[in-house]
Amino acid sequence: MAVNRSLLDKVLRGLRPVIILLAVLSITAVVLNWLRLEAELQTYRQDAVDNIHWNVSQLELDLVRFGSEAEILQLKPDESLGELRKRFDLFYSRAQSILQGNMFGKLNLGEAIMPMNARLEYYLAQTTPLVDAPDVDLRAALPQIEVDANIMREDLRAMSVKLVKNYAVMADMRRAVVATMVQRAAWAAWVVILALATLSLLVLWLNRQAVHTADQTLRLSSRLAATVETSLDAIIVTDAKGRVLDFNNAAAANFGYTPQEAVGADLATLIIPPTPCGSYFDLMARATLYGSAQEANSGRFQMIGMRKGGEEFPIELAIASHNTSEGVIFIAFLRDISDRVQAEDALVQARDEAMAAEKSKTNFMAVMSHEMRTPLNGVMAALEIASGMAVNDKQLRFLDLAQSSARQLLRHANDVLDISKVEAGKLYLSEEQFDMTALTEDLVAGLQQVAAQKGTEVVVKPLGPLPRLVGDYFRISQIIQNFLTNALKFTENGQITIEIEAQRRNDPLLEVEVRVIDTGIGIAESDQVRIFEDFVMLDQSLVRTSGGTGLGLAIARRLAQAMGGEVGVESELGAGSCFWMRLPLAIASTPTPSDAPKLQPVQTINPMDVLVVEDNATNRIVLEEMLQQMGHRVTMASEGRQGMELARSHPFDVILMDISMPMMDGLTATAMIRAQGLSMGSRILAVTAHSLPADLERFQKAGMDGCLTKPISLGNLAKSLLGDALDAPQPQLQAQVLSPDRIDDLREGLGAAGLARMITRFRADFPAFRARLLAACAPDRLSDLMPICHEGAGVCAMIGAPALQQLYAMGEELCRNGQEAKAAEIIMAQVQPLWDQTEAAILTLDLPS
Amino acid sequence: MSRFLNIAFLLFALGLSTALSTTFAHADTFLPPKGAPVLTVTGHITAKNAPTGLVLDLAQMEALPQHRFTTSTIWTEGQTTFQGVLLKDLIAAVGASGKMIEMTALNDYIIELPLSDAKDDGPLLAYLMDGKTMSLRDKGPIWMVFPYDQNPDYRTEETYSRSIWQLLQIDFVE
Repeated sequence: MAVNRSLLDKVLRGLRPVIILLAVLSITAVVLNWLRLEAELQTYRQDAVDNIHWNVSQLELDLVRFGSEAEILQLKPDESLGELRKRFDLFYSRAQSILQGNMFGKLNLGEAIMPMNARLEYYLAQTTPLVDAPDVDLRAALPQIEVDANIMREDLRAMSVKLVKNYAVMADMRRAVVATMVQRAAWAAWVVILALATLSLLVLWLNRQAVHTADQTLRLSSRLAATVETSLDAIIVTDAKGRVLDFNNAAAANFGYTPQEAVGADLATLIIPPTPCGSYFDLMARATLYGSAQEANSGRFQMIGMRKGGEEFPIELAIASHNTSEGVIFIAFLRDISDRVQAEDALVQARDEAMAAEKSKTNFMAVMSHEMRTPLNGVMAALEIASGMAVNDKQLRFLDLAQSSARQLLRHANDVLDISKVEAGKLYLSEEQFDMTALTEDLVAGLQQVAAQKGTEVVVKPLGPLPRLVGDYFRISQIIQNFLTNALKFTENGQITIEIEAQRRNDPLLEVEVRVIDTGIGIAESDQVRIFEDFVMLDQSLVRTSGGTGLGLAIARRLAQAMGGEVGVESELGAGSCFWMRLPLAIASTPTPSDAPKLQPVQTINPMDVLVVEDNATNRIVLEEMLQQMGHRVTMASEGRQGMELARSHPFDVILMDISMPMMDGLTATAMIRAQGLSMGSRILAVTAHSLPADLERFQKAGMDGCLTKPISLGNLAKSLLGDALDAPQPQLQAQVLSPDRIDDLREGLGAAGLARMITRFRADFPAFRARLLAACAPDRLSDLMPICHEGAGVCAMIGAPALQQLYAMGEELCRNGQEAKAAEIIMAQVQPLWDQTEAAILTLDLPS
Repeated sequence: MSRFLNIAFLLFALGLSTALSTTFAHADTFLPPKGAPVLTVTGHITAKNAPTGLVLDLAQMEALPQHRFTTSTIWTEGQTTFQGVLLKDLIAAVGASGKMIEMTALNDYIIELPLSDAKDDGPLLAYLMDGKTMSLRDKGPIWMVFPYDQNPDYRTEETYSRSIWQLLQIDFVE
């Protein structure tokens, strides 16, 4: 049907010009014919002559009346001749009309009339002299006139009959011509009528088509209008200049304008807040410039809209452009996304709150475990002292038990603290040189007794040669220790093998893998991932017997990750497990003999005056007991202010200062002691469980000389009293140029030759280092200064050059506080003099060349 | 004294005639004809100089507004100049009313035409043909002609039949 329609449509459209041409042609024909006909009719009308029959018969009648008058006058000789002469005049007049006039000529009867005209002229020429003669002669000529008139009358009749006949033929011809033309006009009229009828039909059909199209358009547009009007999104149509053309119901509801108010207004000023002017405008301008829909039709974006009352709210906007016959129009689809934005905000807030809660939980755990360590420290110290005073085996046994429980508790607290540190990003990894095999063997040695009790053999099996490595010795030990204790726990009468293997990587680092393989009970596959999570213990019964927290593997995992490595397990239930650790580690540059921790005998020292400022009674008692055992004089203060007052009134050799105290904390008290009084120059040591580097810096700033980290053992205490507890620089620049203690340590550790090599290298490296340092002091390079200072401080600390170390540390500190310029100034002024002094001191050392 | 009275009467008569002429639509006052009568006007007219109506001689025709045109006719040879009085002017001069005019010729020919057909360009009651009076043999003394050449509407059989010659009498009928 549609095909037929369109075909018909095409045919009709093609025919239309033909029909119109036909109509025009026939109308032209009709008009032309009509014009011709009109002209012919005009001629017909205008050329019409005096009635020919009338004239001919009148001529005959006039002649008859003239002849009769002549006949009457013969019988009445007395009668006047006036009437006869009038009759002749009338005849003469009419004869002249025929002779002179052109009526016959116009009727194409000129030739036909010729004989008659000749006859008439002859008659008039004969008779006129007779009539015009005197009365006597006229009377005498009357018989002649009568006879002539009769003869002329007969001739006239014969000739007029012929003339009329000719005229009738002529008239028929003329009528035929007119009739033909009329007929032609009629035909043309028919053609016109036909063409008009066809045209009418065409017009009718076109009209129906138009009505149909209009109907369809109306239906479509009403459907479209309904779509637009029922849309939940605001739909606004504008012209290229941003004037609103259409504003649907949703737009009215969203923005508060009625469509009447909005149509014709400028959209940007209508719905966009004045401040961030023109994001919409820009878009429109771009779209207009590029003349294409590319920019406009570029998806959804968010912006701020404005209601009629000025209230702003978030909207999501999509703009499409469309080319119409009246130029580009823009169709904007807008959605009020207040609810969504609110929901998103709420979600973000909830997340933030959850994170904050998590953080506070972590903090809480850190604080809790930290707080546990302080009293625990007291317990352990007290137990240590008590075991020294035990008088019988029974007491000793209980005290051992108590000590072992306390250690266990301490380990748990440390575990939790470790996790908290890693979580908080506060795990600081040190870089020490160590021998992985030696480390492992040391750990195994510590556990041999337990292994023997369980009938399990522990073997360390290095696979291939292994160089000395650089890494955090303590943390690596912690991971392996964890694997080992686990293996021991779950292996009875079996074997534990520790394999150590190193592989070269692409970078200078070695990939070191340590595998702890046991023949224990194994772990189900479903549990193998879970065991590295926090607080997971597969066998709850072990909680009591083995005393674990379920944190060991979780810590191992975190530590390994913090060092850039990973841990994992391969296991088969009943066959055993293989826990592995893979770490990228640097190769030590200076191979040195084992620097395994060496035990130092407790040195005997001269008695000192010691002030202990400590709010915790247990700790106070422990410290007092320890110090007295060492033979020192001890003064006790239970809070900061009391300690400060005591220190000002008495010159103490050493002050042990607790940091966290309720009224006046240790830092404040230290600062006040340093400010004035008899103990201004005393050695002040912080006693704290805080062990983070940032804390140490804080203590130094407050004027402390060192830090004694809890738990406090006799050895630690003795060392710190002698001044070894802290690698911290001395206050001001009164620090030693070289630290003899450190040099001695090095000599002892590296041997004289090693020390000499190290010192030589230190001196050789300095010029290059100094160049880098001074370059970083340039105003535009200050951002490099801090890491160089840090590096320098590290090197000097290792070599034992406190004066230089302090300078670098101060530079680093100033940089950290944003005072790079000041740091640069101090360094530039002092680095060379200090180096000269340090080098001079080095030259005095007794070293093999 | 009598002379004064005569002058006064004349003046009065003049004023009266002026007043009458304005009152009666240009109707002129006509005296009885002195010469041979050429035309008799009868019927509904206001100006009369005889019991039956108005009789006009050639001099009186000459006294009326004159009109002339040159045209050919189907009854004559070549161009002819006709002079005389327009029927329209005659109607005005005689104060004629009614709708139809009946005209009679010496040869008893009679025509009728409505008053409304008296137009500005014709018909003309011609008494001069090419400047000469017309004898009976020349269709005189009065021939009513139309400007056939000037107006094609006059080249019709009806107009030809209305071109009455040897005209004697004009009768304004109801």
